Order: sequence, then C-alpha cells, then structure tokens
Amino acid sequence: MRERKLKLGNIVGTQWFMLTLVIVVIATVTGLINPRFFRIANIINIFEQISTLGVIASGATILIISGSFDISVGAIVGLAASCMAMLIKADVPLWIVIPSGILIATLCDVFVGYTSIVFRAPSFITSLASVGIFKGIALALTSATLQTIFGQFSFIGSTRVLGVVPLMFIFGVVVYLVVYFILKLTKLGRRVYAVGSNPQAAYLSGINVNASKLVFFVINGILVGIAATMLLSRIGAAGASTGAGIELQAMGAVVIGGTPISGGKGGVLGTFLGVLLMGLISNSLNMLQASPYLQDLATGLLIILAVAVNALSQKRSQIGA
Amino acid sequence: MKTPRGAGVASVPLGWSVRGDQLSERELLLSVSGIGKAYGAHRVLDDVSFELGAGEVLCLVGENGAGKSTLIKILAGAVEPDAGAIAIGGKEYSALNPNESMRLGIATIYQDVELIESLSVANNIFLGDEIVGRIPLVIDAESQNEKARQLLDLLHIDIDERMLVEDLSAAQKQNLQIAKAFHQDARVMIMDEPTSSLGEEETRSLMSLVRDLKGRGIGIIYISHYLEEIFEVGDTILILKDGVRVGTYPRAEIGVDEVIRRMVGREASAFFVRERVPVGEVQVQVRDVCWKGGGVSHVDFDVRAGEVFGIGGLVGSGRSELASCIFGMVRRDSGDVAIGGKKLRIRSPADAIRNKICLITEDRKKYALLAPMSVEENIVIVSTELGRNPLLNARRESKLAGDMVDRLRIAVADPRQPIVSLSGGNQQKAVLGRWLLCDATLFILDEPTKGVDVGAKEDIYKLIVELARRGKSVVMISSDMPELLSMSDRIGIMREGRLVKVLENRGITEEDLIHHFIGL
Repeated sequence: MRERKLKLGNIVGTQWFMLTLVIVVIATVTGLINPRFFRIANIINIFEQISTLGVIASGATILIISGSFDISVGAIVGLAASCMAMLIKADVPLWIVIPSGILIATLCDVFVGYTSIVFRAPSFITSLASVGIFKGIALALTSATLQTIFGQFSFIGSTRVLGVVPLMFIFGVVVYLVVYFILKLTKLGRRVYAVGSNPQAAYLSGINVNASKLVFFVINGILVGIAATMLLSRIGAAGASTGAGIELQAMGAVVIGGTPISGGKGGVLGTFLGVLLMGLISNSLNMLQASPYLQDLATGLLIILAVAVNALSQKRSQIGA
Repeated sequence: MKTPRGAGVASVPLGWSVRGDQLSERELLLSVSGIGKAYGAHRVLDDVSFELGAGEVLCLVGENGAGKSTLIKILAGAVEPDAGAIAIGGKEYSALNPNESMRLGIATIYQDVELIESLSVANNIFLGDEIVGRIPLVIDAESQNEKARQLLDLLHIDIDERMLVEDLSAAQKQNLQIAKAFHQDARVMIMDEPTSSLGEEETRSLMSLVRDLKGRGIGIIYISHYLEEIFEVGDTILILKDGVRVGTYPRAEIGVDEVIRRMVGREASAFFVRERVPVGEVQVQVRDVCWKGGGVSHVDFDVRAGEVFGIGGLVGSGRSELASCIFGMVRRDSGDVAIGGKKLRIRSPADAIRNKICLITEDRKKYALLAPMSVEENIVIVSTELGRNPLLNARRESKLAGDMVDRLRIAVADPRQPIVSLSGGNQQKAVLGRWLLCDATLFILDEPTKGVDVGAKEDIYKLIVELARRGKSVVMISSDMPELLSMSDRIGIMREGRLVKVLENRGITEEDLIHHFIGL
C-alpha cells in the first residue's frame, strides 16, 4: 500500500506529468475565454508553428544530453536556407537543392564539433565563434539581401495530408520518433548518455568519446538542415538572419522538458512537451489578444520556472536518499 | 598575537604523562581532545587527542587511511568533527570553519595551491591586507616589496620578491606559503607531506626553515611518510592507526623500527584468509613500461594464470600511473604488454578492452561512475559497447544486470535506480560487475576496496579469488597492507616510478613491506 502511494508520488513528481498538467490547464483556460482556440484550424496552426522548433530542439536534446551545445544553430539555419533559396532561384532542381542544404548544415555542425574536440574547447565557445562565421558567410553570399522564392518551394509548408494534417507536423513527429529511437534503443544513444554523464568513465569503458561526439554533431547538423528546409518552404524567403534566436528557444524547450543542462539524462518526450508548451503559450497570448511583447517574457519566465521545479525535485530526492 | 593558557586547555590531561615537566615551561598553542569523525558507518577518526606547544614540531605518522588527512582538515576548518573539542587561544571550539582557523593562527601549507600564480611574490604575501600608500585604494608596491624582502631575509628564504609565482619552483612556492603564513602571524603551521615533490637539496633547506620557525616559537604539525625527516626534525611523534591514536612519543624515546611496528601493528583477525588456488603458467608479460609524464620508468613483470600479483608502494610511487599505461589511458613512452605470448597493440582503453584487459580505477567517482545513469546501465556499459549489434537488447541487458546484482549481492531495490543512490561498497561491486561481464584475462584492480565497508570488502576478496580460480591474471594495487599480504601470491614494490622488487608472499610482514616502500 505504501509502495503504491510512493509510485503515484513519483509519477506526479515527474517533469512530463507537470508539463502535461500545465499544458491542459493553459489550453482549458484559453479555450474558456476564447472558444476559437479549440477550432481545428487553430490547433493545426499550433502544431504547424512548432514543427520547425521541434526538429531543432530534438537535435539540441541529443547534444545537451551528451554534454555539448550548439548555439550556432540559428546562424546555420540562415546560411543553409539562404543557399537553398539561391539555388532555387538559379533553377537548380529540388532533388539537388534539399540534399545540398542539409549537407551544408551538417558540415557547419561538423566544424563546430571538430574545432571543439581538436582544440579541447567547450562546444559552447566554438559554436559561439561559429555564429559570426556562418552569419558572415551567409551575408556575403546573399549580399545581405533577402532571397525570395515565393511559390517556388511551398509544397512542404502548405501540404495538408488528408486535407488536415500539415506535412510539417508529420516531419516533426517523424524526427521526434527517430531521435527517441536513437536515444533509447541504440548503442549510439547509450553513448550519448554515457559521454554526457562522465566522459572519462565512458572513455575507460571503451567508448571512443571524440568520434561519438562528432557523430552527435553530424546528427544535429542533419536535423538543422531539415529544419532549414522546412522553414524556407514555409516562409518562402531566406536571409542571413533567418532562424536567428531559434537555438535559444530550442534549448529553452529542452530545459523545460526536464533535460538538465549538465547532461547525462533526459529525453525527447520532455522536449516535445516543452516545445508544445512554448507554442501553446505563444498561441494563447495571441488568442487572448495580449501584447506580443509578453511572449518573450512568458517564455523566459517559463524556463526559470522549469529550472526551479527541477532544482526543487532534485533537492527532494537528495533528502530522500 | 597572544596565546593564553586558558582553563579549557588545562582541563585536557592527555599527553601529560609523556611530556611531563617540559609542558609546564612551555606555552601551549593548541590542544585537541577526543576528536572523532565518521562518514556514514565508516569511522575515520576516533577519540584522538594531542597538544602542541610553542616551538614544538609534532610529527603525525600513520599508514594511508590512518586519518591524518582528516585530522588536519579538521584543524584547517575544512571538515567538521562529530565529537571532541579544539582549544586554541583560550577558547574551546567544537568545530572550526576555514576563516576561524586562519584567524586563530592555524596555517596549512599545501602543495602550491592557495597562491595566485599571476601575481608577484610580494603581492601574494600581502594578498588581502595590501599596503596602501598615500593615494587611497592604490597599492604601494615599493613598500610592499621592501617589507616582503625583509620578511624573506628574516626567514633566510632565497626568492626575489618581484618574481611572479608562476615562475617559482615547487619548493620556492612552498617556502613562500610558509613566509606568508608567518607574515599572517600564524602560530600553528601544518605541513602535509611537504617534501614529497622536493629534491634532496630542497628538503635540506626546508628542514632548516622548519628549525628556524621552531626557534621563533611556532608550533608545527609535520606529516611525512619519510621517517628519516621525522627523526631529524621532530620533537614528538604522534602515531595514528585506523583513526585511533596509538600513542605520542618524544623522539628520543622511540626508534624507527618501533614507530613502524606501532604504525602497522594489527591484530591477526584483520586479515582475510583467502583460499589458495593453483597458479599456472605465465599469462601476462609487461615489458619496459616507461611514461615520463607520470614518472614511470622501465617496469617489467609477469603475471601467471590464476595468480594475484599485488603491487604496493607509497602514494605517489607511480602505481596508478603504471596501470594507466598498461590500459592505454595515457600515451606511454615505451612498453609492451603481451597476453598468452601475443604482443598487443594498445593505444586506447578500447584497445585494451578488446584485448581482454580491464582496469578498475582507484577514483571511482571520477573514472568509473556514469553518475546520472542507472545501476543497470552502469553494469552493462562495457558489454554493450563490445557487442556488435547497433541496437540495444533491453531484455538481455536487464538479465545480465539482474544476474550480476544477484551474483555480487549488490544491495539495490531496483536495478533501474541511479547508481549514485547506492553505498560506496555497492557502487564498487556494480563497477566490478561491469568488468566481469566482459570476460577479460587480465584484471587490474587499483585500490579495489577503497571506501568500501567491511562486508563488501570480503565479498570483493572472494570475487578476486574466484577470478584467480578461473585462471585469470589479477594485478592488485593496494595501499592496504593487510590486503596485499592476505590476497597476493607475489608482491611487487614500487618506489619512485620503478618496480624495485618482487617478493614471494611467504613469511613477509607489514614491517618488511614498509621498509621496502621507504627504501630504508
């Protein structure tokens, strides 16, 4: 009997339970005040809006669990999207454009990871430096102009499967599933956790830590490339600042989802809920006709709240142990 | 600074009988009575008392793990004792914090920490109470340098006060710390293994500095493994063993052999009686291992199948460094390892593991635990990594881990609970389990029972014997002499990075071992 109570307490205490609760509460309150919130069109809209962020946050989840960071993601999105837009304007066929965009993003992330490994610098620093590099390249290539391709590459952003489900959302869900599969069911995923927990112990357990880290960056780069493609298709234009700031939103979603910034634990389910919550709050504030400035404020407060919940639950478990 | 002889001090009778009449003439600086400290069930200090007078050099001796470090950490205010009192400056304290300790005139001289590398010698001496000139908030560098020069001259320390600390040698840094402590009116100086990284010349000059300080009425607590130094400079010798004070002796009344005997003296019951298993042919050959960076030079040894080869030596003699060379953790300068006559190419731990070598490191937290991960994941990590399947097999993993938990009797409610929630002994068993799963031929165990409770210790010993029975070769590095003597078939002695001797474990005693460790 006591044990069952404890287990219930454990579930209630988990981050994803809390998140689901918050999501339900916010949705209910918003829906009561403004019934348009519950219209199918709005709900589809929310899912469409968070798809790109979800793809980027999935990659960030892998990196953060493994103890790395990439804050150049926004700049990579800008560079890759600009390149793709320019190729499309030059009438290069899409089957070349999309893989090229993903390849560019991957190479950028390999650069971030490789410099971090070779120079034994935190990836936080090498990616910080890379922001300037990637942004500079994108500005030079585009001559700092917006590359517009309206109507030439909108099928990903506008397709509705069966007339309802946005293709973007399906992309997002597939990425979540793939990342979930990698993290929980593959040896590579085990390495993500091991390297993030204690790189020295992982090394002494026979894991090639440096090679593994590079692979994590490659995965992140592919996902960033996919996200850039999705974003370009939705917006129909790209420039050096496309995607700026998305890396911070993504890391925020990862943290809200309960993956600690110190690495070694966490998962993509939490990230999904974190992304959903961020999208929901932004949509709710719209629905409630709140000032758009409040959105950033709300996101910031949410991250602090998530950190606080995390810290408090950790303290409790320490006392328990 | 005044050091009154408070009533609290006089009420502590310990050491009275030993030093007798001297005490009445001498100013008492520090009196420690009935100090105790336990970490969980593990008692590291039990009812330790001593006194320190002005101008006295009290030498603290004992094996690794006897409680010396804990005792000095308590005096430095870094560790809070569970019992006892510290009387200093006429007041009794149940515990000190680092600030109090410093304010009361206790200074601990550590190896090169506590100095700011990028500042000059003079600036380091006056750090925190800089001499300010006429312009407010601006340091008067000239008068600081001058005062620093006077201080260094007074103590006969030959360092240029304008040099940057990062350009000083280890010995000079140590001297600087002493000078700084002197400047801060420290009355009690604690020196923990001050000569461990010094050459002969530097050691001699440190000895004369110690004598100089002594003449100025400073009380010194001196800790060293090197008994010659202790007999050269000490007034009294306090012997600790397993956290208990064996006794306090005036230097003149005790000899080196007697000190060694009392340091290690132990009841026979402390020994684990292991079962003997047949020892086979030579299975592992280690040849000419050198690693300059770690101070390992030209180590050769063989280990036979079914043999436990113990490696003993003082802390810092290069034992763990040797292990990291064999395991490919570091880039050694030379050296080969062969198993079954086949020379192996080992350039990383992954190579070593593939070649059936495993290493259980001394520092479990730093090198072995995957802290936020579960017991199960910690146990299967190597086995999963060795497997060819890119996918995880959850059922296989939970079976392997579950079996290992049962086999090693790891006390765990659920193998999926985080490994850090286990006790030290159970964590160690889980780490051992990790390596048992990969069926190695050579097991290198570095301090396998460090921080492990008695029950788990015995389980680990049985496991080692079990490995030997299955024809594995075991290299066991240990600072625990009863452990070495009860478990090993042969014992290799390391001293200053060399394997100086290999003893058949027949009729040797702890005293013999200590003699070999020190090289007396």
